Amino acid sequence: MANMDTTALEPQLPSSYDVTVFEEETRWVKVSGAIRRNVLLFAGSLLILAIVLFAVAGSLIIDEKRTEVGFAHAERETADGSIKEVVAPRLKPSGEFWFGTDQFARDIFAYVAYGTLGTLWMGLIAGIIGIGIGTLLGFIGGYFGGWLDAVIVVLSDALITIPGLMLLITISAYLDQLTVEQLGILIGVISWMGTTRVVRAQVLTLKNRAYVEVSKFNGQGDMEIVVSELIPNLAPFIAAAFVGAVAGAILLSIGLSALGLGPQNEPSLGLMAFWFIRFGAVPQGMWWWFGPPIVVIAIFIVGLFMVTAGLDQIANPRLRTSV
Amino acid sequence: MTIATAVHSPLVVKDLKVYYHTRRGPVKAVDGVSFELHRGERLGLVGESGSGKSTIALALMMAHKEPARIEGGSIILNGSNVLDDNSEQVRLRRLSEIAMVPQGALNSLNPVMRIRDQVIDGLKDHNVNMSDGEFANRVAELLESVGLHRDVASRFPHELSGGMKQRVSIAIAISMNPSVIVADEPTSALDVVVQKQVVQTLRDVQERIGAAAIMIGHDMGLMAQFASRIGIMYGGKIVEIGPVSHIFKNPKHPYTRLLISSLPDTRSKRRLEGIPGLPPSLLRPPPGCIFHTRCPDAMDICRQEIPPTREIDALRYAACHLYGDDDGKVVDL
Repeated sequence: MANMDTTALEPQLPSSYDVTVFEEETRWVKVSGAIRRNVLLFAGSLLILAIVLFAVAGSLIIDEKRTEVGFAHAERETADGSIKEVVAPRLKPSGEFWFGTDQFARDIFAYVAYGTLGTLWMGLIAGIIGIGIGTLLGFIGGYFGGWLDAVIVVLSDALITIPGLMLLITISAYLDQLTVEQLGILIGVISWMGTTRVVRAQVLTLKNRAYVEVSKFNGQGDMEIVVSELIPNLAPFIAAAFVGAVAGAILLSIGLSALGLGPQNEPSLGLMAFWFIRFGAVPQGMWWWFGPPIVVIAIFIVGLFMVTAGLDQIANPRLRTSV
Repeated sequence: MTIATAVHSPLVVKDLKVYYHTRRGPVKAVDGVSFELHRGERLGLVGESGSGKSTIALALMMAHKEPARIEGGSIILNGSNVLDDNSEQVRLRRLSEIAMVPQGALNSLNPVMRIRDQVIDGLKDHNVNMSDGEFANRVAELLESVGLHRDVASRFPHELSGGMKQRVSIAIAISMNPSVIVADEPTSALDVVVQKQVVQTLRDVQERIGAAAIMIGHDMGLMAQFASRIGIMYGGKIVEIGPVSHIFKNPKHPYTRLLISSLPDTRSKRRLEGIPGLPPSLLRPPPGCIFHTRCPDAMDICRQEIPPTREIDALRYAACHLYGDDDGKVVDL
């Protein structure tokens, strides 16, 4: 191998990088791929969607009168043999009353639909307020630091030690009548601390990432950095925290209402629990009374936690089962 | 420095002092550094770890953080002192007048944003008003100028290789045609072939937009490829500065000489020599010349007096007691 051609050994440097162009996937392939990649998120969303649809459609279609005390009437034979229409409590499920009636002759199907809507609405309000306050304080504390951060940390660390239910019981004992919206706001205001801590910790690590430093070199201001660098990176965390907050708020409100301290004049699943416990639905064997709210709550909470777990897989790639 | 040179030089650094304030006293990371950059010139700053190279880069961008503080001197960028600017003025001058190409080892791109949006972000923050189509054209033009395909605009950073990411960083840095580009170890963590390409790309775009560039690093080979002038840093000072070929062929300062002799040479076989000793404490720097503790040529005067900077030959400046008035006159850079 004398006189070897050395030019062949010199690296051939490409003048520009080639970009592989993938074939466009059809919409169905994309959608089915996304579902396969995150079964939990998809299944959880379906469960929640079913409950939301039930609540919204139910309350739109069904006359609200059916949830009032003494609505259900049935024809009964009186002692003198004549047929009379009387108030009909404790009816088993039938064609007219799908889930039967309760101790007060209310249509349980209608009541569950309206109660679910009230409970969801309350959870949504609480979630938005709790996450809103939590995210805002977390960003302020984590990004700007200083004495404001110290105040936020001390405040959230102190408040997080107070059990929410205890605080709510104390507050609602002083308030005369709560509405569903007021309870939502109340729960939101006392449940921002966890979010603040998580968001603050995330912002602390994110703000020292190289690309945040680089965007400072590129002349971005603080607000632009928060909006265009930090929030997109935190979005999955905030979404997961929001779902968790809604679930927590709903459980809290049900607990409070079951104790009889929640809103009394509007139907909610918690209030239903209060009544069926108080009037002994379980010892009476009235499964059609205590069953439906429990099933609705169970489906909804399971759905929410599946969504949280699914979102977690997006936020935390190490939990992913496939790419 | 006269007014005339200030107009022609996009960047004039004069007696810059940056100290890190610790509980035990100030650490003099940059202690009286002066240099001037001409239009289209490429300056390389080399030196071992802790010699103050990166601190200079941060100070030029005004991105130094506590406990670092600029204790004195001036940074004249396009004729006005950056140290007199308020924070909003500093923010607007970044990218449009002085741009940074970050270290290659860093994840300098946001993982959840497409390349296009990251390039446009910088322009929008400087109130550049363009239609979406014009922005797209500008991004494509920038990407192609650094040797990337225009389709890269719609990619996410994780879809790109290290070299491609660094090219994107260069594209962002030149997006507003700055007059000074600061590159702090732009090729760290890239393999040698890609290093060479990236440095070549940086050089091409720098020449095209006519900017002055400062590259910081310790790879003497890359420096020789990139720079037209090299400044050798030791202990927070520039000990020698001059045209790249002169520095390599005929080093004047003992530290430069030892540094060059520690480099491997493909043409001759010889034992490589290191520089004995350790870098000095910048908290309590030794009296006199900062290098005298490790200098093979140290004399009594080196232990007592700080050597003045002399112009040894044309455009070549060194601060060493080996040279007297016969060798070159003392200059105030």
